[in-house]
Amino acid sequence: MKRALALSLILAFTVLFSFGAAAAANTLNGAGATFPYPVYSAWAYDYNKVTGVKLNYQSIGSGGGQRQITERTVDFGASDAPLDPAKLDELKLYQFPAVIGGVVPVVNIPGIKAGQLRLDAATLCKVLLGNIKYWDDGDLKALNRGLKLPHEEITVVHRSDGSGTTAIFTTYLSGAYPEWKDKVGSGKAVKWPTGIGGKGNEGVANYVKRVNNSIGYVEFAYAKQNKLAYVLLKNAAGNFVEPSFDNFKDAAATGDFDPDKNFYLWLTDAPGKNAWPIAGATFILLAREKTEANKRVVKFYDWAFKNGDATAEKLVYVPLPASLKDKIRAYWKDKGI
Amino acid sequence: MIEQLRVKFARRGQAFGLAPSFILPLKGKILKRALQMGIGPKKNTADILFYGLTALASFTVLMIILGVFFVLLKESALSIREFGVIRFISSTDWNPVTESFGAATNLFGTAVTTLLAMVMAIPVALGIAIFITEVAPSSLKGPVGAAIELLAAIPSIIYGMWGLFTLAPIMAEYIEPALQSTLGRVPLLGILFHGTPMGIDILTASVVLSIMIIPFTASISRDAFNLTPSVVKESAYALGATRWEVVKNVVVPYSKIGIFGGAVLSLGRALGETMAVAFVLGNNHQITSSLFDAAATITVTLANEFTEADTNLYLSSLFYLALLLFVLSFLTLAVAKFFMLRTERRHSR
Amino acid sequence: MTRARMRKLESVGALALCSLAAFAGLFWLVFILGDVLVHGIKALHLHLFFKDPVPPGMQGGGLRNAFVGQLLITFAATIIGVPMGILGGTFLAEYARGKWMARIISVLSDIMVSVPSIVIGTFIYALMVRPFGHFNGWAGAVALAIIMVPVVVRTTESMLTLVPWTLREAAFALGAPYYKVITQVVYRGAAAGILTGVLLSIARVAGETAPLLFTSFNNNFFSTDMNGPIASLTVTIFQYAMGPYEDWHRQAWAASFIIALFILVITIIGRTIVKMRYDKG
Repeated sequence: MKRALALSLILAFTVLFSFGAAAAANTLNGAGATFPYPVYSAWAYDYNKVTGVKLNYQSIGSGGGQRQITERTVDFGASDAPLDPAKLDELKLYQFPAVIGGVVPVVNIPGIKAGQLRLDAATLCKVLLGNIKYWDDGDLKALNRGLKLPHEEITVVHRSDGSGTTAIFTTYLSGAYPEWKDKVGSGKAVKWPTGIGGKGNEGVANYVKRVNNSIGYVEFAYAKQNKLAYVLLKNAAGNFVEPSFDNFKDAAATGDFDPDKNFYLWLTDAPGKNAWPIAGATFILLAREKTEANKRVVKFYDWAFKNGDATAEKLVYVPLPASLKDKIRAYWKDKGI
Repeated sequence: MIEQLRVKFARRGQAFGLAPSFILPLKGKILKRALQMGIGPKKNTADILFYGLTALASFTVLMIILGVFFVLLKESALSIREFGVIRFISSTDWNPVTESFGAATNLFGTAVTTLLAMVMAIPVALGIAIFITEVAPSSLKGPVGAAIELLAAIPSIIYGMWGLFTLAPIMAEYIEPALQSTLGRVPLLGILFHGTPMGIDILTASVVLSIMIIPFTASISRDAFNLTPSVVKESAYALGATRWEVVKNVVVPYSKIGIFGGAVLSLGRALGETMAVAFVLGNNHQITSSLFDAAATITVTLANEFTEADTNLYLSSLFYLALLLFVLSFLTLAVAKFFMLRTERRHSR
Repeated sequence: MTRARMRKLESVGALALCSLAAFAGLFWLVFILGDVLVHGIKALHLHLFFKDPVPPGMQGGGLRNAFVGQLLITFAATIIGVPMGILGGTFLAEYARGKWMARIISVLSDIMVSVPSIVIGTFIYALMVRPFGHFNGWAGAVALAIIMVPVVVRTTESMLTLVPWTLREAAFALGAPYYKVITQVVYRGAAAGILTGVLLSIARVAGETAPLLFTSFNNNFFSTDMNGPIASLTVTIFQYAMGPYEDWHRQAWAASFIIALFILVITIIGRTIVKMRYDKG
């Protein structure tokens, strides 16, 4: 009796796990940036229905995406911060963009609605550095004539975890304002001079919503979904622009993605007339020697480029322009994937 | 006969790479005992196998502890070489851009949340223990005790989630503003309560943590109280002492070592708690005077950043943090165990 | 006279405070469990058990993958951890009873019970994830097993010690070798207690999250492949509760409700067994 029980247990166990092993060939594992997680998982869900392939994407952050593909613990990595060609050669990786997004400074000042507050890079930096302490500071007033700003202390909300959003944002600030570059610099996680930290885009969005007279930065999709008050930013062409699909597309269109550099490009301060200054592409990283897995990953993105634009826009992401998609397909072909 | 077997064992031991000098005295003693028990050596092959199996299993505990220590040591070697021990512990820098890492902010977060939780939990836990042992009618003793122990069985992730969704808004809207407008006005004490009450901060994390450790502390204190011989209590009553006086002057002094051990054990538990604080602490590497600020404990830093770390030094520094936590909690728990063993020994005498 | 009254008053006041503390403890229990119950039951739906997750922002879907993954990991951990724990406890209570070595190992086990579980997670990451080249369910199972072993070791040891020595002597007198005495006499005498230890250790690991974060990782799809990343309820709760979507929050509550229910039932069964078996005498 006991022996029979034990035997059947062991049998059930082996059957269960050997069955599982057989299913592995049909799976792809990816990990990385949190920002494109909603759109990747929506694509993967549809792709699974069409082809039966299970693409498991886990949002652990851009740093994690780079780490895990470098250690080859996943089939592909994803990162909001592009790696430069030298680094890619060193780590033996390929890289291509998948979708465009942007970072949006958001504020919570009672009485001020979305799109009312205007900022330029220098003022934004001074606020984030803690040099401007109150909302009715002279610099802010000069940019916003006619807007009633309260004499309240500013609370800065930033990311507490490593993040591609922070990388894009701080790259923009470093490029636009030298003092930022000297004092803080750019990266996925930086040492913030002031403020409170929220985990993930959702954490920052949550804090900004809750804390009066605060300013933070989130990915566009989060600003939109949480109905946060975004600001207008002065771009390279000198215009105050609002974050919108068209202005992101404008930034993407003027960006020169070069396949020879593995598409390495920061889309910050793009030259277009209406270009949103803090845009960025989010990238896919592939291990060069994993030929077979790469073919399957690329097949997925090829499918997504063809069929996924509507899904992406529904989730407030900007699909890549058609010309860039062609460049990427040529890049795949060139690399023999 | 014993001698023959010992030689046989020694050969077997050598086959497994063990020195005969290690095997001989060990097996000799056990065997002698086995023979005293009347086990004939002829039937021994299966017995020896079983003996080996059980010994191996119990030594895995030892192996795991050593394994954890040495693996973490090896993984953090890079960071140890880079930052040393003193500099790592004392540096408040946690800067992935310049790859300069220090544990001080994490140690600060761990120490403050743990201590605050202890301060809040111990009086309540002692109250519960006194209630169960001395106050409650016997019909209530069982159910209340069982309910408190169920509180200990709830997994920490549920405490964390409850803290984020239910407790944090209550803290932000009612409790923290109330504290700010009362205690926050008191000079000196006021610095503990400045800033914007957000509910996701050191105070909320400490409250969740304290709710988590109350049951441990309470049930250990209760066990310690129960060890007080009733003769001693009865003689105090006979002298005319009130119930509270018996508790204060007889029961508590009698079991103080046990209570202390229990408190240190709870401290050890609180040090290593991850999920209950990860939701509500805010994860910000800073040393702050205000309880309304976010902070980071070692555990929360590990949970948030372990899969994030992109450079080798970063990952190694996280392993270094894990090593620090392991050593810290091991020592704390060992101290707790020492005191609890002392009470046990006193009572078994 | 007044002095006696003062003392009496002090006594009543202090003991009232203690009662208040006890009710504060009960209050938290009712508050937390009630909250989980209310939110959890509202979100309960058959889809939760029979559907896999849909992408965030989309309505519907369930957590079938996480339920199955959690069962697999816990089951595998039990298979690894329980025999090892029982055998280890046997050694301490039988062969090494009263030896300094046994005392050291049992003290170490007691310490191990409270060692931070996240440290075990990092340990297994270094041992079983990086060398294997991928996150895998087995790593999660081993991490949980490591947490189980000391619990089972300690309960087994104390339960075996409770079995009267005379019982063993009777068996020895019949000429049985020690291992037979242990497996057929001592284990039988302590079966209820050992079972309780096993149940409590399962309850202990079923709610663990931290050791799974870096080992079994997570999976959006249904998978029974223990060699790859596999979903678990607890990690899913962490992800969903921290996420920005209302639908995720609902499912996280429901999952918490199920886990809490499972653990409380197991704990209560375990305690009842002990009570029935050992409290009589």
